[in-house]
Amino acid sequence: MREQLEQLKSSALQSIEKASSVEQLQEIRISLLGRKGELTAIMKGLGSLTAEERPVVGQVVNKVRDEIEVALRTAIESAQEKVISARLQSERIDISLPGRSQLRGTKHPISLVIEEISSIFAGLGFAVAEGPEIEHDWYNFEALNFPPEHPARDMQDTFFVENNLLLRTHTSPVQIRTMLKQKPPVRIIAPGTVYRCDSDATHSPMFHQIEGLMVDTGVTFGDLKGILTIFTNQLFGQKTGVRLRPSYFPFTEPSAEVDIACVICSGKGCRVCKNTGWLEILGAGMVDPEVYRHVQYDAENISGFAFGMGIERVAMLKYGISDMRLLFENDVRFLRQF
Amino acid sequence: MNVTYNWLKEFVDFSLSPDELADLLTMLGLEVESMVKLGDGMDDVVVARVEEKRPHPNADKLSLCRVNNGVEVLEVVCGAQNFSQGDTVALAQIGAVLPGDFKIKKSKIRGEESCGMLCSEKELGMADESAGIMVLPAAIAPLGTPVFKALGIKDTLFEIGLTPNRSDCLSVVGIARDIAAKLGLKVTLPQLTVVTGSEAVESVIGVTIESPELCPRYAARYISGCSIAPSPDWMVKRLNAIGIRSINNVVDVTNLVMMELGQPLHAFDCDRLSGKRIVVRTANEGEQFTTLDNQLRGLVATDLVICDAERPVALAGVMGGLNSEIESTTSSILLESAFFKPATIRKTAKRLGLHTESSHRFERGIDIDNVSFALDRAATLILELAGGVMANGSVDVYPGKSERPAISFRPKKANELIGINLTVDDIIDILTRLECKVSCGSDGEYSVIPPYYRLDIEREIDLIEEIARLNGYDKIPSTMPISRVVSDLPSRHQEIEKMMRDLLVNNGMNEIINFSFTAPEAVGKMLLRDDDPRCTAIKLANPLVDEHSVMRTTLLPGLLDTVAKNMKFRSLDLKLFEIRRIYLPVANEDMPNEPLCVVGALTGSRDGEGWSRPDDSVDFYDAKGIIETVLNALDVGGVSWVSENLDPYFHPGKSSWVYSGRECIGSVGELHPTVQKNFDIEKPVFCFELDFEKLVKLSRTKKTITAPSRFPDSTRDIAMLISDEVPAERIIECIRLEKSKEIEHVQIFDVYRGKGVPEGFKSIAVRIRYRSFERTLAEEEINALHNKIVSNLTEKLHVTIR
Repeated sequence: MREQLEQLKSSALQSIEKASSVEQLQEIRISLLGRKGELTAIMKGLGSLTAEERPVVGQVVNKVRDEIEVALRTAIESAQEKVISARLQSERIDISLPGRSQLRGTKHPISLVIEEISSIFAGLGFAVAEGPEIEHDWYNFEALNFPPEHPARDMQDTFFVENNLLLRTHTSPVQIRTMLKQKPPVRIIAPGTVYRCDSDATHSPMFHQIEGLMVDTGVTFGDLKGILTIFTNQLFGQKTGVRLRPSYFPFTEPSAEVDIACVICSGKGCRVCKNTGWLEILGAGMVDPEVYRHVQYDAENISGFAFGMGIERVAMLKYGISDMRLLFENDVRFLRQF
Repeated sequence: MNVTYNWLKEFVDFSLSPDELADLLTMLGLEVESMVKLGDGMDDVVVARVEEKRPHPNADKLSLCRVNNGVEVLEVVCGAQNFSQGDTVALAQIGAVLPGDFKIKKSKIRGEESCGMLCSEKELGMADESAGIMVLPAAIAPLGTPVFKALGIKDTLFEIGLTPNRSDCLSVVGIARDIAAKLGLKVTLPQLTVVTGSEAVESVIGVTIESPELCPRYAARYISGCSIAPSPDWMVKRLNAIGIRSINNVVDVTNLVMMELGQPLHAFDCDRLSGKRIVVRTANEGEQFTTLDNQLRGLVATDLVICDAERPVALAGVMGGLNSEIESTTSSILLESAFFKPATIRKTAKRLGLHTESSHRFERGIDIDNVSFALDRAATLILELAGGVMANGSVDVYPGKSERPAISFRPKKANELIGINLTVDDIIDILTRLECKVSCGSDGEYSVIPPYYRLDIEREIDLIEEIARLNGYDKIPSTMPISRVVSDLPSRHQEIEKMMRDLLVNNGMNEIINFSFTAPEAVGKMLLRDDDPRCTAIKLANPLVDEHSVMRTTLLPGLLDTVAKNMKFRSLDLKLFEIRRIYLPVANEDMPNEPLCVVGALTGSRDGEGWSRPDDSVDFYDAKGIIETVLNALDVGGVSWVSENLDPYFHPGKSSWVYSGRECIGSVGELHPTVQKNFDIEKPVFCFELDFEKLVKLSRTKKTITAPSRFPDSTRDIAMLISDEVPAERIIECIRLEKSKEIEHVQIFDVYRGKGVPEGFKSIAVRIRYRSFERTLAEEEINALHNKIVSNLTEKLHVTIR
């Protein structure tokens, strides 16, 4: 009996070793351990043994069965692994083919810059205000201290429409509309479309500005400098140098042009900054008392500043665009890059 | 305003390099826009002496010269004849680069070596024409000195971009004053010694001002026996340096003094003035007059004219007349120095489109106090250059004489507004340097009288600006405002605009921005009837071009032009949108309406062509799908689609209005083939338009969110044949007639016509997902509900279940 078992074991292990597929191994399992299997038959035959023989032979039978089962399990696992690895070997795709992407939508660079600037100022507590583009002379000029026949009006070539209306030449009329609507404190920015009768490589008859206005008690020119420094640093990078120099706008006094260190050459001097190392980016100043008079604010007890900048200029600097006309040609090969 | 470094230095003795000066001017608000170093880069053209001159052996017209540059003697071949041995000349040495990028190289001319070139004035860019080479005075400078340095041409030209308030800086002296004020220096004005004859000026000429409010001051002098001639070299050079052409000695003096002192002057040929009289009056309506530039000008009653006893002889402050200009034969001169009201000059110059150096200054305002000094300065110079005798005294009619009012000024206010902390002494010092008269008042208030030339200083704030400016903007500390907190959320309008833009971008669309003005014909290309409100546009009074002459009433034409333009560049797969304003006139209101609109256009392949997908062109449902996504995100409810009475630019069978309840909120559809052709578009385009303002009103601000059911679903499909006439939407409506909460989702998943489907029918397959919020649904429950739905479909829509 014992020899019979040993023989069975060694022939079983041999055939397990020879088997090449999971299916063959399953067949071996059935022929040995199945209901009609050889080993099962032996185990069934244990009952005919004597009480003394039974535990001894039983032990041997169990041992043989365990060994066969372990061998089978190991062989099946390795056969399964072989199947997977064979599948992995055979399945190959060309990962260099392009992916199945959708066309990517893009915002216009002007919208991107307006959103970015608005969010910087939102963080500083400035709300967004809006106003009409077809505007009264009074809001666009007179209330901003451009008297009729004043040479300062030459600074802004104006498109006129009937009824003493015009296309606003700057976003500054929104200052007036806002102040007429609310009392200080005022903290707004006003992005918008503006128009000037001028068209060449550097001027577009339609362009965009963002106006800013803060009016409260005790606001100083130093505060204007502080706010604009934070703003330009957030927009162009923390180390961007900022310089204010005297200028003139009828609706601010003192007035300033705000330059940033050239973002192209870092201030060393290049074609973009005309070798000055500085780029003019903003006009700003303290709100002129004459403006307060037009909106019935008391210039003695409040003060404030206003600033304005061209969005196109910012967009061109940020994205390295050299020709302003690209912004309004709406060529998707340009637009899809944003 | 053009000014040179050397000229400024004549009036204020600063010790700054040209670069430092440019910085100082810019930081004073006198922005240096460009800087040209005159005679720069020409240091290789040096003073040299011709030691020997002999004929060229192989050419009659050339000579061989031995030229001494102070270091060595060089062989130079020269073609000019106008010099002789021993003359001092200008030698361009090897390596020099002359105007026109002409590089001097060692060369052989007719077999003889030449190590440089003897230059003419033309070759050095100093004159338009020259007869031969330039022969310099023998002792001009040591040999080897750069010629431009020797001639004193080496200078720096600053082009200053002046702001309109700084009329005082439209002169060299004005700019010098600002430099002096900044540096704490003094300005030295030209010294005048007025030498006159015995004849009293009043006995020769007379001046009458008939419009004193337009001409508050008119001064004149009379010079006789002078001779008109070309100006001397120094005058020509000085004027050339700042870009003014020399005319003759008298006219040049008036120009020079205008540039120097800022006072425009005019010299009349006095013998051609009838009665030797000047009358300042407004023009008669329709009066005609020929200006110096030989143009006949029609005048109006607001123009101010200078007349003699009979007729206009000058357009005041703008331009002189042909009938009294200085000619080569002129011998007696009436020299005018006056002040004209800025607005009057501006009106005339603007109306006639005649902008002169003179009108530019009068428009901005000149120094009324300087009128007689400028007159005397010019008269003195004319005597010096043109000779003659000046009548004794000057005529000075000054009806507008008045003191400048004092300005009440608080140094404390200046510090507070600027955010600095200067002492009162520092502040007073700045004002004094600006030549203001400052006197102490009470309560920290001072009384300040600015100089006449600073017309821009009228109020306390103007003085505060001067303090900030002179002290330096760079010295103002950057601070953060201490301010009350204002809480202002973005308006619903702004929020939805941003949302809309994000949604469309997320749908693969590219945002475009077109000009707000368009061509009047644009609406015609859209086939809009004349009575369509969109055909009434706001017109520009002064458009730049016809195609930008009206404000748009719809965004579609611009969008379609953009589609066409992109297709020309073979960008054929397009998904474009624009969110911008349109401009609509409002009856009985002067201000138009400027609503925000949204438009989109889709054409070509859905996701771009690629190896992995067949040609998959966009259609109506792509455009509709985008609108559905947008309306869903904005939570606009009660949406329905209506295809009656469509706009004429849509394909009548493939387009629809979009409604929310009873409000029409937009439209979507395929572009009408004729419109497509009108815009020169080669492929079908699907467009949509949304009324943004209505969407803002209809968008629900509060979304209600339901927790999803945790129970399993059961899905049943129904395939049916239905008449082609019945819109698919009816099927969904019919299924929804069963108001059961257990119908979770209904979806049309297949639409088929063709083989196996009878003519006039379509096969539609619907998938219904049943699910309860409370329990797992039993098979019998679902069957009952589903059977009810099926029988509804058969009874009400007469469908045949397949």
